[in-house]
Amino acid sequence: MTAAEHAIAAPVSRAVVAHAIAPRSSGRPWTFYALCTVFVFYVLALYGPMICIYILSFQDVRGGLVFPMKGLSLHWFVDLFTQVRTGDVKGAFERSVKLAAIVTVATVIFSFLAGLAFRRSFPGDGIVFYLMIGSLVAPGLVLSIGVGLLLHFIGIEGSWYTSAVGAQLSWTLPFGVLVMFAVMSRFDRAWEEAAYDLGASRWQAMRLIVIPILAPGLVAVALFGFTLSYDEFARTLQTAGSLNTLPLEIWTMTLNVTSPSLYALGTVTTIISFAIIAICLGTIATIQKRRASRAPTG
Amino acid sequence: MDLGPGHIELAGVVKSFDGFINAVDGVNLKIPDGAYCCLLGPSGCGKTTILRMIAGHEDPTTGEILIGGENVVGLPPVARRTAMMFQSYALFPHLTVRDNIAFALRVRGLSKAARYRTADAMMEKVRLTDFADRLPAQLSGGQQQRVALARAAITEPRVLLLDEPLSALDEHLRVQMRQELRAMQRDLGITFIHVTHTQLEAIALADLVVVMDKGKIRQAGPARDIYDSPNDRYVAEFLGGQNVLSGQVRTVNGHHAEVAALAGSGIRVPLTPGIHVDAGDPIAIAVRRDDVELVRPGKAPAADTVALAGKVTGVEYQGYFVKVLLDAGGSADFVAYVSERKFFSDPVGIGEAVLVTWPIEVARLLR
Amino acid sequence: MAARDRVFGLVYVSPLMLVLAPFFVAPILVVLGASFFQSDGFGGIIATPTLQNYIDIFTSKLTADLYTETVKFTVLTWLFSLIIGFWVAYFLVFHVRNPLLAIGLFLLCTVPFWTSNIIRMISWIPLLGKEGLINMTLIRLGFVKQPLEFLLFSSFAVVVAYVHQLTIFMIVPIFNSMARIDKRVVEAALDAGASRLDIMRMIILPLSKNGIALGSIFVVSIVMGDFFVIKVMSGGGSASVVGALYEDVGVLQYPSAAASAVVLTIVVTLLVALILRSVDIRRELAQ
Repeated sequence: MTAAEHAIAAPVSRAVVAHAIAPRSSGRPWTFYALCTVFVFYVLALYGPMICIYILSFQDVRGGLVFPMKGLSLHWFVDLFTQVRTGDVKGAFERSVKLAAIVTVATVIFSFLAGLAFRRSFPGDGIVFYLMIGSLVAPGLVLSIGVGLLLHFIGIEGSWYTSAVGAQLSWTLPFGVLVMFAVMSRFDRAWEEAAYDLGASRWQAMRLIVIPILAPGLVAVALFGFTLSYDEFARTLQTAGSLNTLPLEIWTMTLNVTSPSLYALGTVTTIISFAIIAICLGTIATIQKRRASRAPTG
Repeated sequence: MDLGPGHIELAGVVKSFDGFINAVDGVNLKIPDGAYCCLLGPSGCGKTTILRMIAGHEDPTTGEILIGGENVVGLPPVARRTAMMFQSYALFPHLTVRDNIAFALRVRGLSKAARYRTADAMMEKVRLTDFADRLPAQLSGGQQQRVALARAAITEPRVLLLDEPLSALDEHLRVQMRQELRAMQRDLGITFIHVTHTQLEAIALADLVVVMDKGKIRQAGPARDIYDSPNDRYVAEFLGGQNVLSGQVRTVNGHHAEVAALAGSGIRVPLTPGIHVDAGDPIAIAVRRDDVELVRPGKAPAADTVALAGKVTGVEYQGYFVKVLLDAGGSADFVAYVSERKFFSDPVGIGEAVLVTWPIEVARLLR
Repeated sequence: MAARDRVFGLVYVSPLMLVLAPFFVAPILVVLGASFFQSDGFGGIIATPTLQNYIDIFTSKLTADLYTETVKFTVLTWLFSLIIGFWVAYFLVFHVRNPLLAIGLFLLCTVPFWTSNIIRMISWIPLLGKEGLINMTLIRLGFVKQPLEFLLFSSFAVVVAYVHQLTIFMIVPIFNSMARIDKRVVEAALDAGASRLDIMRMIILPLSKNGIALGSIFVVSIVMGDFFVIKVMSGGGSASVVGALYEDVGVLQYPSAAASAVVLTIVVTLLVALILRSVDIRRELAQ
């Protein structure tokens, strides 16, 4: 027998067998439990601190910024919205939500169009791509300062509904376009071609076929657009003008924190974020579930 | 002369995607109105490109495409009155079966009531009425195909183009759906152009089989002509069912040529009208696998037959016939189809020597 | 048809460019320009070109210190976020059998990303402080007698806050890369007798390279460009490049801030370009 035949015929050593991952039906290797532990710790560390804040925001009037809880009350929530010294929280809230709404709509539309554009190559597509990546990794404060200076030179006053929109879009659009890339790559061109074949005009194909099929992806882009704008801080800092958005308010409070009303603010703003997330993810899940394949019946 | 609305003619059609290689290289073809035509060939031979050019999803680099006598190059798909059935069916995943089928009517502005009426009639025809409110993902492969067919046919096209419609189905379903396609075509009475790489499918379905290779048409004609009388080596080998032997012409005498094969005595082959050979020319001959008879060495072969020495290299039972693989006539892939009963009355085993024989008149010279 | 499509491409991408041009390209150019001018001391800019700003930066010891601090944090954050992120992604892709559960857990990790990162940062304060939960627990359980001071307002706290915030940027691209690995390749390797270590070394790591690179780009650019995490979590004990920039802007020293910004941008661009050399980012993102 040749060396190769010897090697094949020799029984596989126990060590090799033992090291292979256990077959599907039987139990899990030890690494599963180790990694599971790591994962659980990660999730705990991820949510733990936030949960502490939520609990602490119900701190009693006499309580301080840290544990233990001296009692439960809604005092700090009330304090947040009524006391003048904590800044214009209500106003900042409204501005942030409105701004996020504007940015979301713009992000969805612009990202969708850009995603369509990138399906085929066009002159300068490489430049646009790298500019987008550049906008993503550029330090937010630098861009913020740049826009501020630009406005100063031109002589325009920045404000939360003009310059801040653009500054925030420079952050949300790259995310939106990247999500569109992922979504478009799963979009079968045959659907579009079939629509044209059956007599649809370009606009009809877009309205009746492309957009509805891409709907979950568009909702995902909207999710990114809203949450990224709602929490955006660095780029908005120098471009929001004289009136603050919510993150800017939070920042001011952070530097001057003296009471759990900051935690109350954290809780409230996170509830808003969770609500938006739940709506978006729920929508996507519902659409996908309806279209998911079930066992064929023949 | 009225050609009929679904008469198709391709004249000098060339398509190049990158400016270097021609995916379709000068194709001339006439497809009669109402015919079932199969474009047959391996992947990359250009058959799908031709289909898409007829549909209007691609434009030829040069050449003309006429449907019903008018040149359609430059017209969008909807203006050509053709409809296409895509390989993946491309059913709209977010629409029900009924909405999928009614889509073409919707984009033409028909009211919901009107288009549902027509769609329901179409669903009756393809026996999908029970599935009207299902989404494509909830259908089986065969059902999806029928939806795709109905969706394309509802526009009353004059030509229906099918891009490998049966490839996604498993074997059993494929054979079943074949008959449905054929029945549908007869019912609608329009031209069908069906692209496939499966030989048996093409010859089962088509009135006109077009064999293609590397962008060119090798042979076009009725299925039986192509199967029985292939023009050249490529068609003979692609269609299957033929053994192709290479050799050199030794002598030519009026009706027959004598060809020296690599092993054994000279083979006499009837001359094919239209193919001119001289002594010394390299030539290929084709013999149908089911025309080959195996004879034990020592037994005298029948008169007027060619006999070559051969060795059995493999035996495959195929139900109603047995496929015997042999080393004979200089070819290691020589195949004989022996009827099952005949084989088992005197079976041969691997390694045995046999005489491979066939009647002289059944062999064909190839270009 | 193709030419018309190309025109459509340009038209469709124009809104994106309409945003990028004035809000990315222009500000960078303005900052670049301002860095060559002088400050008039009152927040205005004198338009006399000068290299003084850059000379000040490159000769100042402060610059070296700032970059050392910032790079230190960048490296530490990158390291820990990579280790945690890699194993979390690996766990989700290869050990969670139910794909729906894997997606669910993945979303669980992603959701915090969509909430305010300032809030998430300060949420560590009641945990890590001298009277914080961790110290109280340790004292209660008897592990220590005095509260651990290094937990908050220290470099430790800064790294914790960064890793907390940025590990998700590692998890997502690595998860993506790993999910694309054909499981049958792993099965084939197992059939051939490979050990788990072999599979990790020869299949999973090389095929996750792109995801790791992508995540690294995010982490590096965010940490190097950050100013508020360091400011708050170090209690003023550490400074960062952008933090100093922020201070400059606060006193209206625009030209020196601009010069600092330009230098930082170049450094970050170089780092990102370095990482990009090991991955074809366009193919990875546009797949």
